[in-house]
Amino acid sequence: MTVQSASRRGGGYLERPAPSGLADVIEIILDKGIVIDAYVRVSLVGIELLTIDARIVIASVDTYLRFAEATNRLDLMEHGGGKPLDEFIGNMQESGAARKVGGAVRGAKKALTGGDDDDDDERRPVRKSSSRRRQEA
Amino acid sequence: MNTAVFVYGVVDPATEVPPDLRGVDDAPVRVVGVFGDPIGALVSDLEPDRPPGRKADLLAYSRVLDSLALEGLVAPVRFGSQMDDEMSVVEDLLAPNVDWFCQVLDGIRGRVQYNLRATYLEEVVLAEVVQADREIARLHQMTREAPPDTAFAERMRLGELVAGALESKRDWDAETIMGVVAPHVVAAEVRPGSGVDHVVKVALLVERSHEQAFEQVLEGLAETVHERIRVSLVGPLAPYDFVGEA
Repeated sequence: MTVQSASRRGGGYLERPAPSGLADVIEIILDKGIVIDAYVRVSLVGIELLTIDARIVIASVDTYLRFAEATNRLDLMEHGGGKPLDEFIGNMQESGAARKVGGAVRGAKKALTGGDDDDDDERRPVRKSSSRRRQEA
Repeated sequence: MNTAVFVYGVVDPATEVPPDLRGVDDAPVRVVGVFGDPIGALVSDLEPDRPPGRKADLLAYSRVLDSLALEGLVAPVRFGSQMDDEMSVVEDLLAPNVDWFCQVLDGIRGRVQYNLRATYLEEVVLAEVVQADREIARLHQMTREAPPDTAFAERMRLGELVAGALESKRDWDAETIMGVVAPHVVAAEVRPGSGVDHVVKVALLVERSHEQAFEQVLEGLAETVHERIRVSLVGPLAPYDFVGEA
């Protein structure tokens, strides 16, 4: 077994994760396999699962804003390359919402500039103008 | 005895189950079938009125199938399938479907599944996109400099252009990757995926005799693309994706 592991790590760049967590297993087995309930009297039990998969592509405002936010997290001047935005990817996969990521980005900016960190939604003009008023004050 | 029976998969009846293999509820796993038949079922006893759906059940199911897949031949049955008793399994599940199940087993004999996932190093690919397109670069600069909660239309436009550029890039890179992989697999099932970093997600059926060569090809691929794409390989697994409806 040790020899096997060593030879597997020999490649270097190919990742070989063992599916250990529930999310991994669900992704592998969900809706897969022979469906037998169409042929026999069998009780197929319903499964309560958390909807973990937020990876459905929706051509929508949320998606485009998310892509814009992702691009704007780059600082091309400091581009070192090769550093994955783990936190961003983690946030996206967990929440699937532009809101959370947008809030995090704006929060960071405001922390740097000294503004307050409210979770403003860009799409609400009332909040938009009031926040500007706060910044100008 | 009135216990229900949990069904894991359809097997070659000659399959030897490791004696210490435990399934749902820690119950021992066994093969059921009629002597002389070309197919059997892999089952374990289940308490009646005890719906399997907890985390431990899912993990037990996948562990049983993946262990068996390494030893022998098993076509997974969808998780959660249970029948009244052994007799039902033999009479209602196996007997009426001998030909179909034989076909399924033939399709996976001597083969295992691997799941391949390729994702972008996000910072790298986004930089590529920004540097390759003037309009994207302009919008990127402009929206970075604009105060938060402003330039909404420009942010939308930037996102839309970036999404479009990534889609083209993804198509190209996915096709290239599949081109490298295809000659080394028996079958491939591309799965859906999304997100800024998605390149390709695919289930692959590989001849056992070719496994080592296959892994070497993938290691070579991972090294070639490592500056912009992360390649991950899970397996060997039971052939979940290659036993469905013909």
